[in-house]
Amino acid sequence: MPRILLVEDNEMNRDMLSRRLVRKGFEVDMAFDGKAGVDKARGGAYDLILMDMSLPEIDGWEATRQLRAAPETKAVPIIALTAHAMAGDREKALAAGCNDYDTKPIELDRLLGKMAALLPASGA
Amino acid sequence: MKKRPPRSPRPRRRTAPRARPAPAPAARQDALLRLSTEIASAENERDVCRAVVAGLFDKALGYDFVAVLLVDQASGERVLVASEGWKDAPADLRIRPGQGLSERPLLDGRLHYAPRVTRETRYLPTRNEGSEVDVPILANRELVGVLVVESNRADAFEPDDLQILAAAAHQAGIAIGRVRLLGALHVRASEQQALIDTMSDLSRQLELSKLLQAVLERAVGLLGVSHGELAIYQPDSRDLEIVASHNVGRRDTTGTRMKLGEGAMGHVARAREPVLIPDYRQWPGRSAQYAAVEFHAVMAAPLLMGDHLVGAMAFMDRDPRRQFGLEDLRLLNLFAPQAAVAIENARLYTAAQHQTRYFQELVENNPVAIVTLDQQHNVVSCNPAFEALYGYTQSEVLGRNLDDLITTPETRRQAVAYTEQALNQRPVKVISQRRRKDGTFVDVEVLGVPVVVGGKRVGLMALYHDITALLAARREAEEASQAKSRFLASVSHELRTPLNAIIGYSELLQEEVEELGVGQLTGDLGRVKAAGQLLLALINDILDLSKIEAGKMEVHLETFEVRDVLDAVTATVQPLLEKNANRLVVEGAAGCGAMRADRTKLTQMLLNLLSNASKFTKAGTIALKVTRAEEPDETWVTFAVSDTGIGMTEEQIGRLFQAFSQADTSIAGKYGGTGLGLAITKRFTELMGGEVRVESRPGVGSTFSVKLPAGTRDAVTRSG
Repeated sequence: MPRILLVEDNEMNRDMLSRRLVRKGFEVDMAFDGKAGVDKARGGAYDLILMDMSLPEIDGWEATRQLRAAPETKAVPIIALTAHAMAGDREKALAAGCNDYDTKPIELDRLLGKMAALLPASGA
Repeated sequence: MKKRPPRSPRPRRRTAPRARPAPAPAARQDALLRLSTEIASAENERDVCRAVVAGLFDKALGYDFVAVLLVDQASGERVLVASEGWKDAPADLRIRPGQGLSERPLLDGRLHYAPRVTRETRYLPTRNEGSEVDVPILANRELVGVLVVESNRADAFEPDDLQILAAAAHQAGIAIGRVRLLGALHVRASEQQALIDTMSDLSRQLELSKLLQAVLERAVGLLGVSHGELAIYQPDSRDLEIVASHNVGRRDTTGTRMKLGEGAMGHVARAREPVLIPDYRQWPGRSAQYAAVEFHAVMAAPLLMGDHLVGAMAFMDRDPRRQFGLEDLRLLNLFAPQAAVAIENARLYTAAQHQTRYFQELVENNPVAIVTLDQQHNVVSCNPAFEALYGYTQSEVLGRNLDDLITTPETRRQAVAYTEQALNQRPVKVISQRRRKDGTFVDVEVLGVPVVVGGKRVGLMALYHDITALLAARREAEEASQAKSRFLASVSHELRTPLNAIIGYSELLQEEVEELGVGQLTGDLGRVKAAGQLLLALINDILDLSKIEAGKMEVHLETFEVRDVLDAVTATVQPLLEKNANRLVVEGAAGCGAMRADRTKLTQMLLNLLSNASKFTKAGTIALKVTRAEEPDETWVTFAVSDTGIGMTEEQIGRLFQAFSQADTSIAGKYGGTGLGLAITKRFTELMGGEVRVESRPGVGSTFSVKLPAGTRDAVTRSG
């Protein structure tokens, strides 16, 4: 059962997305801000991190950079989630070290496809 | 003959007749010789006449009265010019036509001898009982006078006498003819001199008002009249204005205006030829403005330069007997063209001066800073606006290199290049920055134009327009536009966050209610989700448009197979097609190859067009046709979406690509949609260097085509 860390400050989005992922068979942990996300990720051995970009304390880009710099998290796949669809957001997220990028509102099937591509072959 | 004529009368001549001895032939010969010499040496008419009279009143000839009467051409009267044998003869005695014996030779050109004057019917009875000979004097084949010789005796003249008198009259005629010709030549010479004086005078005088007065005085002097007027033609008002006046009217008549055809000058100006008016008071064409004028004869002539009417002149004399004749006309015809040329020259000169002042004023009062340079880039002149803009006075900049004065180190090289360019007759228009005298900078629009005079380049003129305020306004507008874009971006972000929750929870609920077995709720949940998705589409479109308008929409080029996009699009649009029972036909998918473009935007555009087509068509066919065309510069891929739907009118097509504008405002309610799809499609296409076309007929259907560059040509060249 893949372990997912969802870093999201918006309570409704966090609740809604985590519940839907759980229904799809994931084990979901949650963090409410960038700093907590980094701490949790470094202590948690997650298979994939879903990272909102506009976060309190430290933002998603900075959090991603820190995770990439830390030896224990530098290989964990990260998918950036953002409501900003402005030009450059995608490049900015990839440049910070994210493996992929998806815009909110989440289309669950699309997100699941992106997650599947980054996770180790299921059932293994 | 009813009245006693005042002719060469004998009554008072003498009381005692003189005895006439038979003259000796030798003495008579001498007398005739003396006569010839005297006549030949005379220098004028009067001297000729005196010489004739004195020569014949010789004792050797024995005549009692000798006189020469000359005809006054104007009145026809005979005037006593010289006489002997009448001590108290009145000066310039005149005899009117029809009176006296002495008229007879003038009537038939022959010598008349009256042996007894008392028998003559034309002779008025006097105390004279004697005889009289009247001989015509012919000068240049014209009868000019009569030689009158009388004796107190009857039958006093022998044939011999008649011969002598005929010879004397003949000689007198020759002499008079000669001096008259000389006189005429002299007169003509002085006229010509006057004309020459006039011309040289006039060409010197370029001040119009003085010239006009000078011309008039000259003409008055030349014609020997007492009054004259000169008017010039004003083409703007099509009338004549009197600009010079010599003695006419009780007050100065200058400034009086006359229409063409009004009065003597108006008449000649219209007729374009001179007129001689014997009596102005009786003349039908007289002007009401001259009703009080007492003049009789008037002569007027137009002033013409070729066909061009310059003005008119009119002349009068205070002597009511003065009539104008052909001789006056001849003089005026010589004078008028010269005057016309001189006046026109002065007018042109005045107009040129006026023009010069006009342009000087234009430059001086211009709010734009203007400076002129010579070919070495040195300042020739500048206007007050230039002084105000740069803080230099004219004297500080004259003769100095302009670019030294007002450029900055950064703009100097460019400014020098502009100066060169403008000198080479290519106008310059740029926006730049220049330096004031106090070292501060000013944003200016610079306009440099060459100054070419008579085909020759003499320098350049530069205009500087202070655009500080304009630039500030533009910055403000740009800031406002950016603020608008930021606002839209942030609003759409804020809207999408709760939407995210609405759509997500409704999907979650749909799954959960199915599991819980309360399937009757899924329909309503589906509607919540659909409404949320429509709202999301609208927000996305607004965000797209605001990005395009802020210039922040980026194009991400990637190479892909067109067929893959078509497959994805047809799959996505399938539910929409089914909803309206439409059939989709895709043509050309097999041969459309690859292209390099923004795949996401192409997908979005095709979805837009297909969902539009499906929305406005019921149970019809929608065709998506792809064609690839090789053109010289580019390969083009065209996507054409046709439907068999409601179609549009020309007027509806016109509004089609405006944001928030569907072809009909009622359409949104009936068919849904944001109205932004086509506006976005058009802007996306333009961003990618393509174009959108629409063909439509109401009730038949519409075809929307998106033509895009394939963008594969470089790649092909490289790989080949």
